[in-house]
Amino acid sequence: MTETFDADGITLERVEEYVWELPATGSMRVPARVFASRALLEEISGDRTLEQLRNATHLPGITNYAICMPDGHQGYGFPVGGVGAMDAEDGCISPGSVGYDINCGVRMMRTNLTHEDLAGRERDLVDALFEAVPSGLGGGGIVETDVGTIEAILERGVDWALEAGYAVRADLEHCEDEGMREGADADAVSQKAKDRGKNQVGSLGSGNHFLEVQRVTDIFDETVGEAFGLESDQIVVLIHCGSRGLGHQTCTDYLRKIERQHGGLLNQLPDKELAAAPAGSQLAEEYYAAMNAAINYAWVNRQLIMHRTREVFADVFGRPWESMEMELLYDVAHNIAKKETHTVEGEERELFVHRKGATRAFPAGHPDVPRAYRDVGQPVIIPGSMGAGSYVLRGGDRSLELTFGSTAHGAGRLMSRTQAKDEYWGEDVRDDLESGRGVYVKAQSGATIAEEAPGVYKDVDEVVRVSDALGIGDRVARTFPVCNIKG
Amino acid sequence: MGYVLRDHTADVAVEATGASLEETFAAVANGLAAAGWDEEAPIEAPGTLGEETVDLEVRAESREALLFDYLDELIYERDVRNVLPVANRVDRLEQSESPDVMGEDADGGEGSDPSKSGDATDSAALEWSLSATATAIPLDSIDAREVKAVTYSEMRLEQVEDRWEAYVVFDV
Repeated sequence: MTETFDADGITLERVEEYVWELPATGSMRVPARVFASRALLEEISGDRTLEQLRNATHLPGITNYAICMPDGHQGYGFPVGGVGAMDAEDGCISPGSVGYDINCGVRMMRTNLTHEDLAGRERDLVDALFEAVPSGLGGGGIVETDVGTIEAILERGVDWALEAGYAVRADLEHCEDEGMREGADADAVSQKAKDRGKNQVGSLGSGNHFLEVQRVTDIFDETVGEAFGLESDQIVVLIHCGSRGLGHQTCTDYLRKIERQHGGLLNQLPDKELAAAPAGSQLAEEYYAAMNAAINYAWVNRQLIMHRTREVFADVFGRPWESMEMELLYDVAHNIAKKETHTVEGEERELFVHRKGATRAFPAGHPDVPRAYRDVGQPVIIPGSMGAGSYVLRGGDRSLELTFGSTAHGAGRLMSRTQAKDEYWGEDVRDDLESGRGVYVKAQSGATIAEEAPGVYKDVDEVVRVSDALGIGDRVARTFPVCNIKG
Repeated sequence: MGYVLRDHTADVAVEATGASLEETFAAVANGLAAAGWDEEAPIEAPGTLGEETVDLEVRAESREALLFDYLDELIYERDVRNVLPVANRVDRLEQSESPDVMGEDADGGEGSDPSKSGDATDSAALEWSLSATATAIPLDSIDAREVKAVTYSEMRLEQVEDRWEAYVVFDV
């Protein structure tokens, strides 16, 4: 008899270990699949994640199944931790299934410093980083832009940063698409979005976004670790942020355009937030061009913050950043749609793969993995909470077969922000982290620290264990925070 | 009457009630401000916070779209003027004949199901509009956090007996 999992009227059937399926019934176009252990599934079924996943199976052209990752939780429209591959010819592209923070993502920078080199300077470093990297609301950006600059950023991405002196050539070689998404059109981004974005280029924002100095605590795979340039006790920097107001406004604008122009399609969907434009329609083309531009903006945002971090390290340690070998390891996007070719039932198909709170995880040998990592697989960076550390994985051999080449993106929230503020007090969380765990935290707002307290997140170890066991993203290394700045 | 912040795993939800649509919209807007700023008291006390204001005229094709666009405009003003709009007031909210067509093109002719075309133009001749004002607090004078966007997810706007109720999820 098939093993099942029951959650409030939704029954999932076990397909294989860590793979659960909600069969297609009623108006669902395809089944839904959850990739999780029973323990994670208990948490996933605690809010509206499964209902939102079932809703997502109604999107036109959705292929195989709507997917929920081990770190999935309730979002708006598509759940967070969601993957949906829609046919690029007769399916759709869905701004609501990408999310407001287009190309919210994470990058990791290596250094040749060890934890010992940092000892005694943690406070200086966290203060200097907090001073130098804009965060929170209304803090401005690293660069002031004019119309020409913002358009160059939108269309050329990190290539603009290279020309402007905020990047080195190697940064481009270690980023997806070399930091420049093709098919970006600045004209498809509204003036409103540009107005919001022009003063925020090079800023963290608030919420769950942060910059962290970390030490490598574990290497699980020596060979791949070496290919990624990671070793035990090494200092690395992790940067988590997205496309700021420009991306948020772009998603908002297209959601409203779809509502006005494709109301017929929208009325067939169980959640208005799943808003989608039919593949091949003018609006689908425009949204894709605007989203690509916002993706470039987000890459530049993270690039500027990384480059500013190099300068801060140079100041604090009194030597050039190049001598500390501060090199980009890789940059991963969490909220994007991308036209990719996948094999479906033996046939090559062009699909808009939507990853909303999920990370691309292509295996070794895939042509889209940068040359530097093609033999070992694409690096995947999974940020954890301030008290649990983060992971570096590599794309697993089964990711293309199971999840359209995707894995988890983080620990996943467990507790609401309002509840977190009732349970935690920011200053206490900060003091406990510093005295108990040696983690130096500095934030614009104490409430942000309470909302991001380690206890509000799922067990990142369990999320990564499941990803590794499934073979969609294999463990390479683990890190633990030393300094953390946030809005 | 007023607003309450409701639990949501990753984001923040605002539930608001009011005797009129005007009051209800303003209460949601105050909830938006509260979602980013913990000082609730000043939000409830208009007129004591300074001279600067945010003044908005918003038009949309439906009541829900008007609420969505009103909240979106407040977020936009916050980002471009670096102020937090608080003590929100909606002075006028009405449905009237539209001087132009708000519905744009309906589905059809773009590869979608032709049997579904036309449904978005039904209300094209009528539109909803509002005038609103708020006190603008400079962001550099307060400890506020970012709310990214308004969503349609789980949105509710309905009349219950003699009052209006609204529920809006914001992305943070």
